[in-house]
Amino acid sequence: MASTVIGAGITVEGEITTDEDVVVAGTVRGKLSAKESVTIEHGATVEADVSGGSLVVAGSLTGNVTANERVDLQSGARVIGNVKAARVTIADGAQFKGNVDMDV
Amino acid sequence: MAQARTTSRTGDAGGARIGSAARVRGRIHGDGDLVVEGQVEGDLAIRGELTIAEGASVASETIEAQSVVVAGTLEGDVASTGTVRLVAGARVRGNLKGSAVSIEEGARFSGRLDCEFDLPAELGGASPRGEARGRAAQRR
Repeated sequence: MASTVIGAGITVEGEITTDEDVVVAGTVRGKLSAKESVTIEHGATVEADVSGGSLVVAGSLTGNVTANERVDLQSGARVIGNVKAARVTIADGAQFKGNVDMDV
Repeated sequence: MAQARTTSRTGDAGGARIGSAARVRGRIHGDGDLVVEGQVEGDLAIRGELTIAEGASVASETIEAQSVVVAGTLEGDVASTGTVRLVAGARVRGNLKGSAVSIEEGARFSGRLDCEFDLPAELGGASPRGEARGRAAQRR
């Protein structure tokens, strides 16, 4: 279980900062930065710039993304924004609009 | 269609937790329970139980929840539709409003209590359920 969880019914408007991992199943608007993994689950809405160790997206994300390790856009993900990470995967069924920068 | 590995790890539907290393600045609202183990600066309005765990700190203008349990540090006014419990170790500064408020031994509280309760007969006088009389003002 992740250390920080934003459940499906919960909305955070503001800034989330953590040294650990974050799972978003609800809504986050603002800024999200974690040292470890960030998971945006199916059904979640994130309108925020996101930074983390690694990022998995299955929900909706609008914002720029920076990950130290990798970014995985899973089937069902809708991402609008620029992605910056050394390793990026975009699964079949993921929607993506933006730039990818793997030259980190 | 090949389904990517699911990422559903939130067992409790709608519930939320702010971990001990996490800090949130801003407003948190919605349906479901919320457990704060880290730091929150900003207003909280949830339809569910709010737990401010030991070691957590919350600074907020207003907190609305169906019930509130505080074991950590809280600055701000609480309006609960249900109960408010300050357990041992809690440090609370603000006004508390709830259907019932309990302050356990070892909790520190400064602020005003606003809850309805039946006054004892010897104190009750003309208004046995007087809300105004139920307000206990403490020094801040």
